[in-house]
Amino acid sequence: MSHKKGDLKVYWNKITYAFPILNDNIFSDCTNAEYDEVQHIIVGLGVQIKIRDLVLIHIEKHLRQHVAPKFWSKFIKVNEDVRGFQLFKSAVNDLYEAVSSFSSMMCRLTILNNSCNDNKPIYGEKDVVLGFKQLVRATLLSQLPLDFQVIINHFYKISFNVFDNEYENSDMSEDIMCSGCGNEYADCNCAYIVKVFHETNRKLMDLQLLERLTGQVLTNFIQLRIESHIQKLCTGTFDVSHVGFLENWLDTTVMSWLTRIYCGGSSKPPPDDKNIQNAISKFKQKLRYFLYHSYTKLRIDQLFNIIIEYPDSQPAVDDIKFCLDKTDLRSTLCKKLQNALETRLLHSGVNTPDILTAYISTIRALRHLDPSGVILETVTKPVRNYLRNREDTVRSVVSSLTEEGAGSELAEELAKYTGEPEGDADNDEAWDEWNPDPVDADPKVDPKDRRTSDIISMLVNVYGSKELFVNEYRTLLADRLLAQSVINTEKEIRYLELLKLRFGEAQLHFCEVMLKDISDSKRINSLIHQDSSIEELNKEFVSNAMILSAQFWPPFKDENLELPDEIKRHLEAYTKSYEALKGNRTLSWKPHLGNVNIEIEIGEKKLDLTVSPFNATLIMHFQNKPQWSIEELHQVMKVPVTVLRRKITYWQTMGLIMEKGSDYFVLADETENKANVSANQVQEMICEDEETESVMASAHDQREGELQVFWSYIVGMLTNLDSLPLDRIHQMLKMFASQVPGTECSLQELRQFLDTKVRTHQLVLQGGLYKLPKTIGLR
Amino acid sequence: MKVTVKSWTGVATWRWVANDDNCGICRMPFDSCCPDCKLPGDDCPLVWGACSHCFHIHCIVKWLHSQPQQQCPMCRQDWKFNNK
Ligand SMILES: [Zn+2]
Ligand SMILES: [Zn+2]
Ligand SMILES: [Zn+2]
Repeated sequence: MSHKKGDLKVYWNKITYAFPILNDNIFSDCTNAEYDEVQHIIVGLGVQIKIRDLVLIHIEKHLRQHVAPKFWSKFIKVNEDVRGFQLFKSAVNDLYEAVSSFSSMMCRLTILNNSCNDNKPIYGEKDVVLGFKQLVRATLLSQLPLDFQVIINHFYKISFNVFDNEYENSDMSEDIMCSGCGNEYADCNCAYIVKVFHETNRKLMDLQLLERLTGQVLTNFIQLRIESHIQKLCTGTFDVSHVGFLENWLDTTVMSWLTRIYCGGSSKPPPDDKNIQNAISKFKQKLRYFLYHSYTKLRIDQLFNIIIEYPDSQPAVDDIKFCLDKTDLRSTLCKKLQNALETRLLHSGVNTPDILTAYISTIRALRHLDPSGVILETVTKPVRNYLRNREDTVRSVVSSLTEEGAGSELAEELAKYTGEPEGDADNDEAWDEWNPDPVDADPKVDPKDRRTSDIISMLVNVYGSKELFVNEYRTLLADRLLAQSVINTEKEIRYLELLKLRFGEAQLHFCEVMLKDISDSKRINSLIHQDSSIEELNKEFVSNAMILSAQFWPPFKDENLELPDEIKRHLEAYTKSYEALKGNRTLSWKPHLGNVNIEIEIGEKKLDLTVSPFNATLIMHFQNKPQWSIEELHQVMKVPVTVLRRKITYWQTMGLIMEKGSDYFVLADETENKANVSANQVQEMICEDEETESVMASAHDQREGELQVFWSYIVGMLTNLDSLPLDRIHQMLKMFASQVPGTECSLQELRQFLDTKVRTHQLVLQGGLYKLPKTIGLR
Repeated sequence: MKVTVKSWTGVATWRWVANDDNCGICRMPFDSCCPDCKLPGDDCPLVWGACSHCFHIHCIVKWLHSQPQQQCPMCRQDWKFNNK
């Protein structure tokens, strides 16, 4: 079959009429009947495959050069949501139209392709139309601009607001503005927005672009909304549980919005479309996890405050407990809480009682959060280490244990304790509630200890020993017994009974003897007061004694004080009377201890004071002689000059004694001091005088005394080796210490000891190395 | 200025007047109590023998009960209570 050139031209025109894309056009009026003829011609010429491939090349080129650039040209960075909404809508519309305009050409191409019989896949698809859609997607995505998400975000944000509003606000009575679209109610745009929203989603679904184009944006967007919703809901208050609300919000607002996106406006997925159903349920699972995750993370960030407010914050703790099972945030929780405890609590600015209070709250809250006790154990380890190194911890625990009245949680805890391990009886019944220990549990710790140990034991265990704790209690009791002129022995005994239940009889036996000493002393005093020689002396003033069994009291700080002669006379008489009363026994006085009731007359004013023997002695000397140098006072009182200087301030602040020259003191002039002394001031002074320091050598002091043995070794070491790190000193001491029997010193103790030396400037700590200060040299 | 002492409460420790610190039988300080007692002093007093050695009363009584001969555990002289 041969063809004239003119014929070919006619054929080509007919072919381009059916496939205008070959001339870079899309629209054609070509009817089905007309195409039958064209198809006939093509087949007649045997060029089906050539024409088909040529058409495809042109389509590809057209999409690449016109459709895709036009589509993406709308994806610009704009700030206003509404503009973004419109841009995205029109971009999708235009694209949809552009793709639709190919539809008649696609029908013809399908016929043409069928006549090719070469089974060549069209862009990976057997079907021409599917292949075309694939081509559209590929072309679009190959030209994806950087900021394409901006207007998509606007689009979904606006529509979500409308939905959120629909589900949440039932009482919109007072607003003039619609909180869905932000317009006034008269101009409410919500209906339009919903319509456009559904249309656009349907078109994207049709183009199979919904997931590809918006999936990531949607996920990000919803996650942001979840986060901000959680933030809005959960700031500040811990006394309400939020998990239920949040789950409900996710199921109603968020999920129905998502369903409508996927189902082109319908609120339910088509029952026969497994793909959509799967996509939606997968999305839901992901979002639920995200919801729990974000909520828990927020609560974990707030956990320190939640703990401080426990038990008021129990709903929040319950929420965390619930969510921890659904997320993998256990170790995050431990790490973050440990951090928070360290930064908020464990530094010198926080006083010990506050740390203890927080620690107790932590124990209670975490017990509730994690009954296995593993989180508690992990998280509070630094707290325990820190408390162990604070000097006044035992003292604070003991004094809050013995505090009266409400607010002292420890005192309540102690009173609760009955001496029997709790819940032992119903252990058998609870066998079905048994849970294995979590994987992060320390296998070295008996899980039973972890679960059952009570708050007081946990505090006492900070020390690793009951003995130290009881010792400190003894010191505290001693101070209290000696400081108070009126002692409520009954109360102390009652309290001691409680402590005995907890710590055992043997540990507290010493304290029992101490209390007995005090009540015995009262009896002895009244017996001795009947002694005729004492009766005579007591006309001047009454002398009493607290007679202690030295073996049972904590060691006293050694202090000297020479009492005025008249006082000594009284005490000697008292001793004689005592010796007569108790055969073969005698008394050794601790002259600096006790309390003295004195009256001071200045002009017309009388002051009634209770002061320490030191203060009484001092002011009595000034009564006899109005001017004293510190050296003279040292001679008569046998008190070191430094101590004198420090303690004389009591009378200076009272306005009775003035420092005239350096270390030279005079009795204040009677007329001058009137203004200075007010009764109130006096009261305060007494309190300060009584409370400032313990007369007992503290456990710490006692230990420090023992460690003093090492000091000369350390000085020797540092003299020879200039500077050394802690562990090196420790090692060398261990070697030396074997020559000093009965001395054992942990690294921790050594550090504390060296730190006190640094504080008193006997050592310098530089870059982790200890050295001797230059001026001291060998001392 | 006039200072008047109205009352003076001093602090003292009591001790036994003895020629040793510890009981030769139980090795505890005299001012503490014997191992069988809880309270020192009146409840666990000392006694002196004619030999001038002294012990917690409970310690020496226990000792004498356990021995065939009534001797002072320190000097082995016959034990006699000295009620001085
Ligand atoms: Zn004895
Ligand atoms: Zn006894
Ligand atoms: Zn003897």
